[in-house]
Amino acid sequence: MSRVKLSLSVLVLALVLSLSSAVLAADVHVTVLNSKGEIQAQLEEIAAYYSSITEGVTVEIAAVPVGQSPFERATALYASGNAPTLLMVDAGDVLLFQDRALALNGEKWVADAIENSLGMATADDGRILAFPVTVEGYGFIYNRAVVEKALGRAFDPKTVNSIDALRQLFDDIEASGQASIVIGPEDWSLGAHFFALAYATQSPDFAEIKKFQEGLKKGEIKLADNAQVNGLLDTFDLMKEYNYDKIDPLASTYDRGTELIGTGEVAVWFQGNWTWPQIKDFTDNREFGFLPVPISSNPADYGNTQVPVGVTKYFIMDAEQNSPEQQQAAKDFLNWLGYDPEGQKRMVIDASIIPAFKNITIVPEDPLAASLLEYVREGKTLNFVLNLPPDHWAQVGASMQKYLADFVDRAGLLGEIEAYWLGK
Amino acid sequence: MLASEKRFVDKLKNYLLFAGPTTLVFITVIILPFLFGIYLTFTNWDGISKAYTFVSFSNYKQVIQDPAFWTSFLRTVKYVFYTVLLVNTIGFSLAYALTGGKVLGENLLRTGFFVPNLIGGIILGLVWRFIFSNVLVFLGRTLNIGFLSTSWLANPNKALWTLVIVTVWQYSGYMMIIFIAGLSNIPKELLEAATIDGATGFQRLRTIVLPLMVPAFIVTVFLTIQRGFMVYDVNIALTNGGPFKSTQLISMFVYEKAFLSQQYGVGQSEAFFLFLLVAAISLTQVYFTKKLEVEV
Amino acid sequence: MKALRRAYAILRHAVLYALFVLYLSPFFLVLLNSFKSRREIVSNPFALPPAWSLNNFITAFQRMGFVPAFLNSLLITTCSVIGIAVFSSMTAYLFVRTDWRINKVMFFAMVASMLIPFQAIMIPLVRIYGSLSMLNTPWSLIYMYLGFGSSFAVFLYHGFIKSIPKELEEAAMIDGCSRLQVFFRVVFPLLRSTTLSLIILNVLWIWNDFLLPSLVLISADRRTLPLTTFYFHGTYSSDYGLLMASLMLTILPVIAFYIALQKHIIRGVMEGAIKA
Repeated sequence: MSRVKLSLSVLVLALVLSLSSAVLAADVHVTVLNSKGEIQAQLEEIAAYYSSITEGVTVEIAAVPVGQSPFERATALYASGNAPTLLMVDAGDVLLFQDRALALNGEKWVADAIENSLGMATADDGRILAFPVTVEGYGFIYNRAVVEKALGRAFDPKTVNSIDALRQLFDDIEASGQASIVIGPEDWSLGAHFFALAYATQSPDFAEIKKFQEGLKKGEIKLADNAQVNGLLDTFDLMKEYNYDKIDPLASTYDRGTELIGTGEVAVWFQGNWTWPQIKDFTDNREFGFLPVPISSNPADYGNTQVPVGVTKYFIMDAEQNSPEQQQAAKDFLNWLGYDPEGQKRMVIDASIIPAFKNITIVPEDPLAASLLEYVREGKTLNFVLNLPPDHWAQVGASMQKYLADFVDRAGLLGEIEAYWLGK
Repeated sequence: MLASEKRFVDKLKNYLLFAGPTTLVFITVIILPFLFGIYLTFTNWDGISKAYTFVSFSNYKQVIQDPAFWTSFLRTVKYVFYTVLLVNTIGFSLAYALTGGKVLGENLLRTGFFVPNLIGGIILGLVWRFIFSNVLVFLGRTLNIGFLSTSWLANPNKALWTLVIVTVWQYSGYMMIIFIAGLSNIPKELLEAATIDGATGFQRLRTIVLPLMVPAFIVTVFLTIQRGFMVYDVNIALTNGGPFKSTQLISMFVYEKAFLSQQYGVGQSEAFFLFLLVAAISLTQVYFTKKLEVEV
Repeated sequence: MKALRRAYAILRHAVLYALFVLYLSPFFLVLLNSFKSRREIVSNPFALPPAWSLNNFITAFQRMGFVPAFLNSLLITTCSVIGIAVFSSMTAYLFVRTDWRINKVMFFAMVASMLIPFQAIMIPLVRIYGSLSMLNTPWSLIYMYLGFGSSFAVFLYHGFIKSIPKELEEAAMIDGCSRLQVFFRVVFPLLRSTTLSLIILNVLWIWNDFLLPSLVLISADRRTLPLTTFYFHGTYSSDYGLLMASLMLTILPVIAFYIALQKHIIRGVMEGAIKA
């Protein structure tokens, strides 16, 4: 039976392949692998609309199945000879595809991309390998209504620009009986986001951050001697001191965090703008925003007034398994997204993407995105460090959890992180 | 008869007809991946690069020198030790109490103790996640029982015990069934004769029942050891290795090394180490069983 | 003496029934809380629900996509189990009844392969089938289950077929039956009890399996019941009422299966464990 099935499926496969190649001859097909599952429907609409306004080009959106990493999916498609024309991949994975991606240096959007957005997409030989799709960022999310009610006055987020100011804020909030902050114990949040600030605050220059990481790999850097690292952990100590879940710091879940901040049970939560769809289910209040995570007592220090913002998803264009016509059509599609008012609107408003291009002036509607954009406009951004090894979030996240639950002291934590980096 | 087929072509035709599908799946699902796995252990492939190189034994060297691997391995040994001990003690006690008509509702009780085995480790893990993180914490806080008032799952000193507890709960009923099978094979006359001779219940247990149950114990102990080393479902559903990797058992460690850290070669070397370990355990079991068969 | 024995018997019953309640209490707690809202569960997981509303069940049923997941599990389990039983019994029959070197080699290889834990081949398995684009379909998964299940099944049948006398088959052969007919009309019916035990063991294994399907089935709509439940719990990690209802929905079919086939299941487990 299984042999019959096998031969049958081979037959069907052959038929499908021959049919699809016949279709290809008539029409240029651009297939796009989407790895942001939450906007699959919107992207499909965009693709349908674009196909309807362009003669002879059809854009199709394929999804990365929920639960599979975009990298794994892309790998499987490449291995089977079915590489899509455009692949949406995580920032940290772009360079893994450098053997297979088309260089896009000649494209118009390269000049319009926001600062720092192409660093992760540039190979050592200078080839620009990917189109930045969406910007994300994180920091302390605050619930303005709750903060102002607790303080009894209007709240200016700009006043929180040092560790001391943050302590003052927490003190004032708690004085009214309102819980100030909850720490989400998720390893990805602590490892990939919170501790990544230690790298990001080293320098505005991404090359310097890379150098810092290289130093860690060679074991040349002592984290305990680093001011930014210590400052960041001072802030973490402060968070621990006021933590809503102090008795059982590792028991909470991500979902519960969205609920606590949404309902106003706590005033502040460390997370990113991707939490908005969940937060908004708990409240009709629309006034939320980001505070920076301070790393010293001096407001002028880099990092105290900046939040990390970065391009987390990129489009790679396949260089091997798609025809030049397909590649050209894909380039046209990207330009339409970036420059056509209709394309811009559909991307920013319909798909709630924060674009990575200076020329796009449409503002997204959710308050966390708006808050991030304000930081971008004022130039108050840190690098969202995304070039970390694939298990960094899990390993460093685990070490941070230990520190959070007081199972290791600061020296122990830093020792573990140094050991993690060594020889990577 | 089949045996009368003499010509090679006939033999082959016969073989393909009866064993062809099995042979095909066996070779493509077990043998090829096994061989390819050995090949993988000598490369540094990351899953996508076109180029990867042979690294001879450096993956194995890396495994041997990786303290995290050994920590996880020793943790698994600890987990296996306690589960084997408890599962077999409890399983045997239940079986002993539930044979011979000493208890009303024997069948109902057997059925009840066996139920956890029917349900997959994932579901059991999720059920117990609720028990440990909500029910027990509620009990602890309401009744002021200190050691229950915070979640065991969030405490690295206790979280491994949650795995042991769930495993014992899951498998003791299963082992009970195997012990019941063994107990019902013990000749009644033997026990009756001992009773007439004035042996107490405990003496009967020690001098007659336990020695006769050695073969059953060999089966159950090895089954629990094997399952213990391979456990994955309960691990991922109950603790997910946390808090901070303190309950990550060896299977999950290997999984993450390959599919998360994208170090297929190293991950496969670790998996291969596991294979050798499990094979050694099973062969030891076969050896003991054979030896007993000869003696009895 | 009599009073002592009586007290001892009462104690024994008390301990055993207390243990019985303890063993089953997790399931009762899940059942009880599946009728409650999140707030009610947090405030007291032991309290009775204010109303026995099925809302959680209905919501969980829809949101987790119970029907497709159940059907996927059913398709995969049924096809795999039948395939294993049919192909393995045929193979074992050939191995027992014909004397060819290849048979011996294959049988030995299959028995030896039972030493390989799944974890030792999962990485290359996923790499190979992934590169052939053969992941994410139930048929590949069934194919793999045939591979993983056949060694033990052949071994089990092999032991039993050895004990069947050849005369019956020879008589049927003389009546003009082909080899396949002989097998299916004469031998296979005799294997009924072994087949039943094997099917039960395989149903429990495949229905509940997690690691292999989690590697093979990728799209949400292809997932089996344990996978769906697991991911559902990841998505709604704090809506406890819904989670409890989803667990009950997953547990109920298994319990129904157990009640229907209780005797056979216990016997199957005994046979399987002792042979293994």
